[in-house]
Amino acid sequence: MSRRQAIQAGVFGALGLSLGDVLRLEARAQSPGTQAFNAAAGTRGKQARALSVIQLHLGGGVPQQESFDPKPEAPVEYRGSFSVTKTKHGDVFSENFPHTAAIADKVTIVRSMVGRIPDHGQATYHLFTGYTPTAVIDYPQMGAVVSHELGGRGELPPYIAIPNNNSFAGSTGFLSSTYGAFELGADPGQPGFKVRDFSIPDGVSSKRFDRRRTARQIVEKKIRDLEADPTTLDTMDDFYKRAYTLLTSPKAQAAFTLNGETEETMQLYGRDVVGLRGPDNKFHPKGLAERLIMARRLVEAGTRFVTVTYGEWDSHVDTRKSCLDQMPALDAAIAGLVTDLDRRGLLDTTLFWVTTEFGRTPKVNGTSGRDHWARCYSMLLAGGGFARGLIYGASDSTAAEPARDAVPLEHLLFTIYHQLGIDADKELVAFGTRPIEIVKDGKLVKGLLA
Amino acid sequence: MGDARILAAEPVVPSFRRDVMPVFFRAGCNAGTCHGSARGKDGFMLSLFGYDPRGDYERVVNEMVGRRVNTAVPSQSLLLLKATGAVSHTGGKLFGRESEYYRTLLSWIEASAPDDVGQVPSTVEVSLSTNRLLFETQGKPVELKVTARASDGTSRDVTKLARFFSNNESVAKIDADGRVTAVGSGDTHVFARFSRFTVGAEVIVLPPEKGFVWPNPPAINYIDTLVFDRLQKLRIAPSKLCDDETFLRRVTLDLVARPPTVAEYRAFMSDTRSNKRTLKIDALLADDAFADYWAALWAEQLRVIGGNYAPVATHVKAADAFYQWIRRQMRLNRPLNEFVAEMVDASGSNLTNGPANLYTMLVHKPQFEPKAFAADFSQLFLGVQIQCAECHNHPFDRWTQDDYYGFVSFFTGMKRKPGVEPRERRIYYDMSAAPAKHVVDGRPMPAKVLGAIDPVPGGGDPRTALAQWLTAPENAMFSRNLANRIWAQLMGRGVIEPVDDVRATNPPVNEPLLDALSHHLVDSRFHLRSLVREICNSRVYQLSAKPNASNRGDTRQFSHAHLRRLRADVLLDSVVTVTGVPRRFSGFPDGTRAIEYYPRESGDTEGPHFGEPFFATFGRSSRATVCASETKREPTLSQTLHMAVGDTVRERLGQSGELKKRLDAKLKPDAMIEELYILVLARKPSADEVAYLRALVGKDENDAGAYEDIFWSLLNSTEFGFNH
Repeated sequence: MSRRQAIQAGVFGALGLSLGDVLRLEARAQSPGTQAFNAAAGTRGKQARALSVIQLHLGGGVPQQESFDPKPEAPVEYRGSFSVTKTKHGDVFSENFPHTAAIADKVTIVRSMVGRIPDHGQATYHLFTGYTPTAVIDYPQMGAVVSHELGGRGELPPYIAIPNNNSFAGSTGFLSSTYGAFELGADPGQPGFKVRDFSIPDGVSSKRFDRRRTARQIVEKKIRDLEADPTTLDTMDDFYKRAYTLLTSPKAQAAFTLNGETEETMQLYGRDVVGLRGPDNKFHPKGLAERLIMARRLVEAGTRFVTVTYGEWDSHVDTRKSCLDQMPALDAAIAGLVTDLDRRGLLDTTLFWVTTEFGRTPKVNGTSGRDHWARCYSMLLAGGGFARGLIYGASDSTAAEPARDAVPLEHLLFTIYHQLGIDADKELVAFGTRPIEIVKDGKLVKGLLA
Repeated sequence: MGDARILAAEPVVPSFRRDVMPVFFRAGCNAGTCHGSARGKDGFMLSLFGYDPRGDYERVVNEMVGRRVNTAVPSQSLLLLKATGAVSHTGGKLFGRESEYYRTLLSWIEASAPDDVGQVPSTVEVSLSTNRLLFETQGKPVELKVTARASDGTSRDVTKLARFFSNNESVAKIDADGRVTAVGSGDTHVFARFSRFTVGAEVIVLPPEKGFVWPNPPAINYIDTLVFDRLQKLRIAPSKLCDDETFLRRVTLDLVARPPTVAEYRAFMSDTRSNKRTLKIDALLADDAFADYWAALWAEQLRVIGGNYAPVATHVKAADAFYQWIRRQMRLNRPLNEFVAEMVDASGSNLTNGPANLYTMLVHKPQFEPKAFAADFSQLFLGVQIQCAECHNHPFDRWTQDDYYGFVSFFTGMKRKPGVEPRERRIYYDMSAAPAKHVVDGRPMPAKVLGAIDPVPGGGDPRTALAQWLTAPENAMFSRNLANRIWAQLMGRGVIEPVDDVRATNPPVNEPLLDALSHHLVDSRFHLRSLVREICNSRVYQLSAKPNASNRGDTRQFSHAHLRRLRADVLLDSVVTVTGVPRRFSGFPDGTRAIEYYPRESGDTEGPHFGEPFFATFGRSSRATVCASETKREPTLSQTLHMAVGDTVRERLGQSGELKKRLDAKLKPDAMIEELYILVLARKPSADEVAYLRALVGKDENDAGAYEDIFWSLLNSTEFGFNH
C-alpha cells in the first residue's frame, strides 16, 4: 500500500495520526536516507526540494522593460517612460517595483526567458503545458501532471485555481479529469467571497447531510451490480468522498477562507494598495493580496499546485497607464508573499513563480504601447530551492534578445519539475499506447538553483 | 541506359531520391523528433519525412561544403561518422559500417554525391504482403514484406527501408524488420510507411477458444449482422438485450435529450404490443425536440456564438439567423447533403441569410482566414485533419501539400464587406483573388478537391463545384463522416474514433459496418431520421451495459452498452424535467431548453465561450475549435460539489415542482419511494432499495426533509448523471 492509498484508506486516522503528523512524516520522507519511503511516494527516488508551487500568472504579456529588466541606458523609444529603483543587492528594477527591490535578496530573476510564439492563446498553452498546441494531442497542464505524479498532501485537492483556470491554458489534456484544477469559481479579493458550491446548504443539518450520503450509497448499489465501467464508478465515488470531506472537515473549510488573517498580514500583502482611478473616478483595491493569502493558506494545508491569475497586461496602447494602474498592487503582493512565506519557514519548500506568456516589444509603438515579444522576457521565482538573490541571464541593450544564458521555457519547466522531485524526461502514456515526455527537450538549469 | 552489359560491369551509383533519402527515412534522420523538425536539430535540418528533396540535397551537400559530405575522404563525411556513432551524435548510433545503409551512403559519396539528373521514378504505390493477420493466443511471429511500385512500372522490395508501427502494442508488436508478434487478445492494425505512403494490415489476436460459446443472438437488421459477425470473429459474446426500463430511458435521452416523464414511463411499461420499442422510436423521432437537439448539436459544431461587437460579423443577430435556419432545416427533415451544400455555397447578408454565417462563425476571426477555415471545414465535413499538410505531407495519411493548398484555394476569395447597418456584413466570393501558394516552391495552387489530380474548372465561384463534390452520393468521405458522427452520438463512440480524426492510420474498428451505415445514409437520400431509426432499432443499440466474461474488456466493438456521461446541456435539461422547476437563461425567452442555449457575449466572439457557468463546469464545448474533444465527458470534483450543494439541485428540491406535488399528495412511504425512482431514474426500485430507504424516513411518514434527501440522492446518483 502506498502512502497515498494509506491516507485515502484512513489508516493514519486509525493509527491516531493527525494531518500534521502525516505531513511531518512526509517531510522526513523527503530528506536523505529514507529512499524507500520516498519511492513509495511516487517520486522515483528523486529528491524533492519543493513540496508546493504557487504560480501567479499575469496574462497578456508583462513588459520586461517596465518590470525586472529595465534599460535605463537605452534611447527613450526603447526605454519607455519609467525610471529605475535600486535593488537590495545593487542591481536595478523598474521604479514600479520598490517593494520587490527591497526583498530582491530573496528572489530569483530570469532575464533571458525564451518563448516561441507571440500569440496569447498559443503562448499561454505553451507556458502551462510545456507544448505548443497541436490538433492531434492535447497536453496536460503542469498542475495536472504534478497532481498525477505526486497526488495530494492531505484533504485538499492537489491542484487549485484561484479564481479559475485560464481559458487559454489547456486543461488535463490526455490525463483523466481527476487531475484537473479545482476552480474556486469566486475571487477571494471580492467582498463576500465564498468558494462556489462549498458549503452544506442552510437548513440541511449534518444529520441530514449524512442521510443524503447514506441514501446515495443505497441508490448506487444497483449500478455497481451492473459491473459496467468500474473505473467510472470508482471515479464518481472518489469525487463524492472528496466532496464530502471538503464540505464537512473544519480544517478544509477553514483553508478556503481568510478567517484569522491579521490586519498586519493584510497590509503586508498590500490589501489597500490601489492604482489609477477607475471609470467611476474612484480608487479600487485590486484583490490580489487576498488571492495570494488564499494561495498561501492552501499550500499550508497541503495543496501541491496553486495558480493565481491577476490583471490584464496586453497593453498595445499606453503601457504607462497599464503599469501605473496594476503594478503597485502587484509589487506589494509579491513582496508580501515572499516575506510571509519566509517568516513562516515555508519559502524553502514552496516555490513562488510569477509568469507571463511573453514579454513586449523592445521599441514603444505609435500608440505608446508595446506589442507581443516572445524572444526574450523576464520571470520571477522565489523559494523551492532556487538561488536567492540571483539575477540569471541577461538581455541585450534593448531587451530584445538574450545576451547570455538563454533559458528556453522548456528548460525552466524541467527545472521546476526537478525541484518537485519529478523527472520531466519521464514519459506519460496518452490514449493507452502513446508515450509522451512530460517536457520535451528540457534541460536542468543548474545555475538557477541554490 | 539500354546497354545491360555496361550496367552490370559498373556498380550503379545510388540515386539521392531513390536510394539515399529512404536511408534517412529508415534511420529516422528526417523524423520530427530529429533533423526533420522545423528547426532541425543541432544545426542540421532535413524536410520532415523528405517532402522537399531539393532542399534536403542542398543542406546535405552544399550547406557546409566538405563537412556533412566529404567527397575527398568519403568515409570521413559527418553523415557517416554521426550515423555510425563514430563521433558524438545526439541521436546515437543508427547503423553499423557493415550495414547496407552505410554502403548505400558511402558509394553515393564516393561517386561525388551527385544530385539526380532528370526525373527519378517516384513511388506511386506501396503494398504489404498481407492485409490481415490472425493469431491464436500463442501464434508464431509473422514477417511482413513491403513492396513499392514506381512511376516507371518497376517494383522493388523495400522492407529494409520501411518503418513500422503498431496502433496498439498491447495487442500486437511489430519490430524494425516488419516482424509481427501477438501480445494479448484484441484487434488492432500494424503499419508500414515508405515514401509518402502508409499501408496497414489488420491484426486479430484471439482469446483462448476454450470456454467460449457463441450465443447466436438474433439479428434485427444489418447492423446486428455486421457487429455480431465481427464479434464472433474476435470471440467476444455480446451482452443480453436491455430491459424495457433501460431502453426507454436510453432512447429518450438519446433522441429528445431528457429522461422520460412518469406518464411516458407508465404508458410504455403497460404497453403490451410486441413492437412497442419500434413505435417508441418513431414517436420520439416525430417529436420537435429531436430536431431541436440535432439543431443544437450542429450549432455547437458550427460554433454558433453571438457577440455584441459589430466589426467582426458575429453579432447576436447573425447568430440567431444562423441558429434559426439550422433549426428550420432539422424540423423540415432536410436531407443532410442539401443542408451542408447550402451553407458551403452561401453568400449574402450575415443578418438575413443564416447559412452564410458558415463563413463568419466556423472560424471566429476579425478577417476571414482561408487556411484556418479550410482546416476546420475539412475536419467538420470530412472528419479529416488536413492541416498537418500545411507544412509537410501528412505523415500518417495520404494528404499531400498539393492537396492542402489546392483545398485552401476554394476559400481564398471569401470576403466580407460592410452592409447597410453596422452589424451587417455581406459575404461574397471575390473572383479576382489569387489562389493559395505552395509553401515549398511558391507555385499557385488552383482550387482542387481532396485527392483529385486536376483543379476544378476556373472562372467562377469555385465553391459551387466544392459543394457538389462534397455532398455528392459518390463522396464516401462525406457520407462516412456523417454516418460515423451519427453512430457516435447514439453509441457513445464512433466506428472511427475520434470522429474527427479520420486517417489511413486510424481505420474503422468495423469497416463493413461503417460502409453499411454510410450506404444507408446515401440510399435514404441523407435523411438523418432514417439512419437514427435504423440504429435505434438494432439489437446492438439495445444491448445491456452488463458485461459477460468475454466482453468485459471490450470498449470499442459495441459488444455491450457503456456508461455515457450526459452532456452538460442534457444533464441540465434532465434536472429541470425531473424536478419540474424551470431554469431561465438570460437573454433567451422563458421555456428555452439548455440544449437550445448558445453563448451570447457582450464583446467579440473569439476564443472559448461557455455562456452560463454551469456549462463550463460540466464540460459543454466552449466552441473555441471544431474539435469533437471540446465536449468533455469526464466528471470532475467541481461537478460533484455543484450537484451536491450547488444551486441547480438545491433550488429544485422541495419548494415547488414535482416533489412538492407528491408531498402534497401525502403518499405512503413505499409508494413515495417508488414514485421518486420512476420520476428520476425511470425505473421501479427493488424491494431492498425500498426497505433500506424506508428505514431512513423515520417515524414521521410525511417528513418532507426525508423525501427531499432521497430525491437528492437520486439526482446525485451515477444512474441519473449517465446514460446506460
